[in-house]
Amino acid sequence: MENIITLAHGSGSIQTSELIDSIFKSNFDNPYLTADDAAVLSLEEGKIAMSTDGFIVSPYEFPGGNIGKLAICGSVNDIACMGAKPKYLTCSYIIEEGFPVEELEKIAKSMGETARKAGILIVAGDTKVAGKGQVDKIFITTTAVGNIVDGVNTSGSFAKPGDKIIVSGDIGRHGCTILLARGEFNIDADITSDCAPLWSNIEAVFNETKDIHVIRDATRGGVGTVLYEIAKQSNVGISINHESIPIDPGVKGVCSMLGLEPLYLACEGRLVFFAPAEVADKVLNALRACENSTNAAIIGEVTGDNVGKVILNTAVGAKTILSRPSGELLPRIC
Amino acid sequence: MCVGLPARVVSVNDGTAIIDANGAKRDVRAELLDDLEPGDYVMVHAGVAIAKINSDDESEGSEVMGLLSI
Amino acid sequence: MNEVIEKAREIITGYDGPKVRIMEVCGTHTHEIFRQGIRSLLPENIDLISGPGCPVCVTPVGFIDEAIFLATEKNCLITTFGDLIKVPGTEMNLAKARANGAKIRPVYSPDDAVELARENPDEDVVFLSVGFETTTPSSCLAVKKAKELNLNNFSILTANKSMPNAYLKLKGSADAFIYPGHVNAITGNAVCKSLKDKGVSGVVAGFTATELMSALAVTIEMLKKGEPFFVNCYPRVVKDEGNPAAIKLMDEVMELCDTQWRGLGIIEKSGMKLKEEFADFDSRIKYNIPAIEGKPNPGCRCGEVLQGHCKPSDCPLFGKICTPLHAIGACMVSDEGACSAYYQYNQM
Repeated sequence: MENIITLAHGSGSIQTSELIDSIFKSNFDNPYLTADDAAVLSLEEGKIAMSTDGFIVSPYEFPGGNIGKLAICGSVNDIACMGAKPKYLTCSYIIEEGFPVEELEKIAKSMGETARKAGILIVAGDTKVAGKGQVDKIFITTTAVGNIVDGVNTSGSFAKPGDKIIVSGDIGRHGCTILLARGEFNIDADITSDCAPLWSNIEAVFNETKDIHVIRDATRGGVGTVLYEIAKQSNVGISINHESIPIDPGVKGVCSMLGLEPLYLACEGRLVFFAPAEVADKVLNALRACENSTNAAIIGEVTGDNVGKVILNTAVGAKTILSRPSGELLPRIC
Repeated sequence: MCVGLPARVVSVNDGTAIIDANGAKRDVRAELLDDLEPGDYVMVHAGVAIAKINSDDESEGSEVMGLLSI
Repeated sequence: MNEVIEKAREIITGYDGPKVRIMEVCGTHTHEIFRQGIRSLLPENIDLISGPGCPVCVTPVGFIDEAIFLATEKNCLITTFGDLIKVPGTEMNLAKARANGAKIRPVYSPDDAVELARENPDEDVVFLSVGFETTTPSSCLAVKKAKELNLNNFSILTANKSMPNAYLKLKGSADAFIYPGHVNAITGNAVCKSLKDKGVSGVVAGFTATELMSALAVTIEMLKKGEPFFVNCYPRVVKDEGNPAAIKLMDEVMELCDTQWRGLGIIEKSGMKLKEEFADFDSRIKYNIPAIEGKPNPGCRCGEVLQGHCKPSDCPLFGKICTPLHAIGACMVSDEGACSAYYQYNQM
């Protein structure tokens, strides 16, 4: 096989099937992944959750993962947040002509590994090759589906005054990692992406209690954006203790260097739970016992006043509103 | 008007220094400060070390307020 | 809460004297005061005004127009502090110019822009040089470096500002000023001390919660005494003599000029431009930029806001067509802009 992707690989020719067999099939292998036009599947009775997500990230490889791992985690975590045990996933690639086959192999390998870890089967896929310059190296879109666990009923509109807000770990690592990996600001820090599939963490919580109102994974926009979304969707206020938010010191350092707010940096392996105060400790302890959520922390609570707002309790014993970023995050000097 | 970054000097070499803020490291221009040594704390702005820092903010605060006996 | 904050908090919240107006000059102070929620602690008789100390807020519309001219007409690669990306020009801001295909790149330091010019000899790199005395040395270092490297594809578009003469313009806007700690770290305290002799009071403050609270407490205690005062509340960074090497550097590379402040108009000898021997690195000369007169929105009252003459809410555009997402005036653009802070804060 050639060592770069060419337009022939996307033409439906022999090269296409060669690519699929040698790279995708070997890494994703399972009985549902066939050469037919569609995968034939069965789901258990009851409700299912389904979600789709497109992934473009530059650079496509970064400390702690690559676009492949990200593409699995993203869709798995989206349905997991609705209480669904991940079952099947489809993926679609748009690859730029000239992309190294070796790199594609690395990406496929990490997709296979992450899918196995998340307990999801990759059952169908599609590959298109775009001309040079038409896409930035590689784009991946994934769709995941799974059955919702009995007795679980979560939604962004279910947060209630008195609920405790729990994050599953330190925030902003993915965004910070990507920022540094781009090399634009010449900053060096030992930070890896938090990118991880999180169904097992959610399952661990459900084993303790199913009385959870909201689960949301904080992706682009970070935890701050999730808080605003829930405040709006549930028509409640949110009160956060700034000092109790777990933040990696390196992330803090980069943020102070560039004048960025860690609450708005992207995460790819962090959950935000809204749960009644009575079960908050159970949720916290269940999370702390799991890989990727040992630093879980209660960061605040839901209030009946200040509807639609996120209020921070600050170090001087005052309250302030979490300001909302407008558009892209930019480093600032003032 | 000016975000300052307090950081520790890791090394100094010919007018530039590597500084470390909580593990985030970067090269900055250090030629505006004399006798800079590894371990010193400096205030960095826009990639330039502009001042040495000689204590933490809490002892500074109590000193300032103490001077005025308030 | 540490002891210093607790004690300062008592003084601030307990103030029951006559109404006082305190102006924080520095945009980063505005930002931190907002972030710490300090305003919500103030009793009604303490008015905290946000002054013109955000380089973004005082950069005139025409400067953004000049940058866009260089990007679109001269095909320059514009490097800038991120702060300027969303500042409105007459027609558009830099973000929109970038979306239209202009080469606009945020950098952390002017040095990074020099590096970019070195690595890309085919690009004409322009750095948007804004900022007060704190930031100006970084531009001067960059220009000197470019000269040493004999780079002929690097230049800076200056809109650097100098504070001393601006203070005089602001005299009377407040009973006391919170001076910008990092400007004084460069310039030293002589100007502030001479202002005291002219009856202008103030303290120089740092940026942490502890530093801001103690500086406010000191200001209030000194105001109670009724005498003009100057106190250095940031001695761990600010020395009386400032940073002599930085002052010497600015003197070598730049000189004072009259300059326009957004909203305040032209203030004599309050700007900095490159000296003649560095003219090769002056974008205005290099690219022969025509005189561009920016046209701000006529309804915008940023200028009065910056001088403490009116509150953001007194402006007819505020919160209506001018919001953080669709900023018309510069004070709404950055988080530390007075209007932006006021807008978000008043939603509480």
